[in-house]
Amino acid sequence: MTGRNRTHEYQGVISNMRPVTARGFRDVLPAEAAEREALVARIGEAFSAWGYGLVETPVVERLDTLEAAVGPLEGVAFRLIDLDGRVLALRPDMTVPIARLAASRLYGEPGPHRFRYAAEVFREHESLRGQSRQFTQVGVEFIGAAGPAADAEMIAVMVEGLRAAGLSSFSVVVGTVAVLAAIVDAAEMPPAWGAQVLSAAHDRNLVELDRLAEEPGVRPEAARALRAVPRVRGGREAVAACREAASACGCGEALDELDATLALLAAAGVADSVAVDFSVMRSFEYYTGLVAEAYAPGLGVPLGGGGRYDGVLGAFGAPAPAAGFALGLERISIALLEQGAQPVARSLDAVLGGAPEVALVAAQELRAAGWRVALSSHEGLALLAEADRLDAAEALLARGGLIVRLDRAGEPALPLSRPVPAPPASTWKAGGQS
Amino acid sequence: MIATRRIDPDHRLRIAVPKGALFADCVSMLSSAGLDVTGLADPGRTLIVRTSDAEFIISKPTDIPVYVAYGAADCGIGGKDVLVEAGLEVVELVDLLFGACHFVVAEPEDAAAAISERARHLGVVRVATKYPNIAQAHFDARGIQVELVKLNGNIELAPLIGIADVVVDITATGTTLRENRLRIVEDVLPSTARFVGNPASVRIDPRVTELADRMAALVKQSLHVVDASAPGVAAEAGSTQQTPLRTGKDPVQS
Repeated sequence: MTGRNRTHEYQGVISNMRPVTARGFRDVLPAEAAEREALVARIGEAFSAWGYGLVETPVVERLDTLEAAVGPLEGVAFRLIDLDGRVLALRPDMTVPIARLAASRLYGEPGPHRFRYAAEVFREHESLRGQSRQFTQVGVEFIGAAGPAADAEMIAVMVEGLRAAGLSSFSVVVGTVAVLAAIVDAAEMPPAWGAQVLSAAHDRNLVELDRLAEEPGVRPEAARALRAVPRVRGGREAVAACREAASACGCGEALDELDATLALLAAAGVADSVAVDFSVMRSFEYYTGLVAEAYAPGLGVPLGGGGRYDGVLGAFGAPAPAAGFALGLERISIALLEQGAQPVARSLDAVLGGAPEVALVAAQELRAAGWRVALSSHEGLALLAEADRLDAAEALLARGGLIVRLDRAGEPALPLSRPVPAPPASTWKAGGQS
Repeated sequence: MIATRRIDPDHRLRIAVPKGALFADCVSMLSSAGLDVTGLADPGRTLIVRTSDAEFIISKPTDIPVYVAYGAADCGIGGKDVLVEAGLEVVELVDLLFGACHFVVAEPEDAAAAISERARHLGVVRVATKYPNIAQAHFDARGIQVELVKLNGNIELAPLIGIADVVVDITATGTTLRENRLRIVEDVLPSTARFVGNPASVRIDPRVTELADRMAALVKQSLHVVDASAPGVAAEAGSTQQTPLRTGKDPVQS
């Protein structure tokens, strides 16, 4: 209508318009970047400790490749058209690109494969929802293994990752989509009804699930299970409660597996962080078994989640069981801040003033001893002010053959001893754990 | 967007309550469910009412799904109309059955011929509504091409002043529509008040589900009093299914 004209008008009025990022995208400055880098490193180390190897995949995938695995991505994925007229998409998650990698580069190679990643993903969102459209996810994919041992490993790695991030309080909630699938089968209703049930479960709409359970023709045992199961939660005993509620629906095997998984998690020493909740459904619909979500108290959104997706690699012609999860780096940062446990990052140990030819030599000596040093053209109080501004631990001056500390008045005080000592301790103060 | 909530040392449950038409019913429902609602019934200009076991946020009805979805409130009560329009991620826990109304399409009593004439020449129907998402979905589903204009109040005025041919609005009794010489031509969606929870709070705070269970029991009771077999009302309006709440060690690490 008039949008284009109006934009031109604005541009005429605001001649010195500042450049802005696209809605939902932002820059990261050094202080935050240092915290993020440290978090990614710590979580990555926790994943490495379980044998997960780092992989990278392209930011762009072919849309048809992604949609073959997960169905329509309209409204979810950013789409691009290249010069060949092919429709591409910015990856909305890492699970499908890594499944594609496994089904192509590693086709026919014996598994299982353990991969980890730290990567930006992109999701479309309507305006005015206050939503970012770029996130960083850290996660793992465990491809080629099934059963309780593989499921338990995935959950244990998730807990270890969250612990490594420094979160003092969090909870991983697990369920299985197999139970709901079994209830839908047992209801003996037309496929449209089943689709409505799954849709209501994805929307977490318990009122609608109750209504669907009441529809004429639903077998009574399935109706009873449909009303009860999404409300079953607790510790390991919840599996027994679910079994009782859905006993007639043929989901015994899925529950046996879940129970065995929980037993293994107890053995792995992470049971304290894990709860069971049969209403957990992930928003991507490719999950086939175990599903999990991680929560921190006071944070109204999950820190991350994942599950078993045994059908995805089959869509790429290389059927294999697989499971994985992703944690949202930004959400972990918020939770750490809320818990007062964010990593305190200092990216600079000293600023160093003095004549350039002297300072360059002195800086080399400091760096060799492990210092991070920024050169400065200032002296005296201005050098102190610069150290403050850059959050450096020390303000130093190279003079003659000496490296001298400045006192609070900006005057040269004691020189550093030789050989140069290690930089001031605790560059990283760990939050939550040491 | 994610709400940040410094963890309240008293750890009160935070409940969003809509001001306006649903307010009185909400207060009596919360009170019947056993919550201390001292000061909530007559809050004056206060928007946050703290009692011994909850913190009530008195909100504009359309903001309820926003507060709950982003975690600023653990739970709340909102009309189904508002929830559907917002399309945000909240867990719908109990149909409270009060605040019943309908989304309808309405047009001027004498306008049917004029509208189809206009549609024949111009190819579109002009629709005024406070609920653009619901209206668009409704007409899309019927294959009708429309031009939507979002207004913020007195939707029934729109056809009278010529900005739209038809309106999509909520109505409880149809009185306002009739007084403005509009007649209902289609029923879009029924609506009642729902008790909703934040997805994270529902998972990790047992008080939300306990409150939901108590409300469901109250709703069920009231149905038995009125008419257990009333048509159009979900007989199992809420669940009284006792679910095993967390026992023993709290799985949230501390």
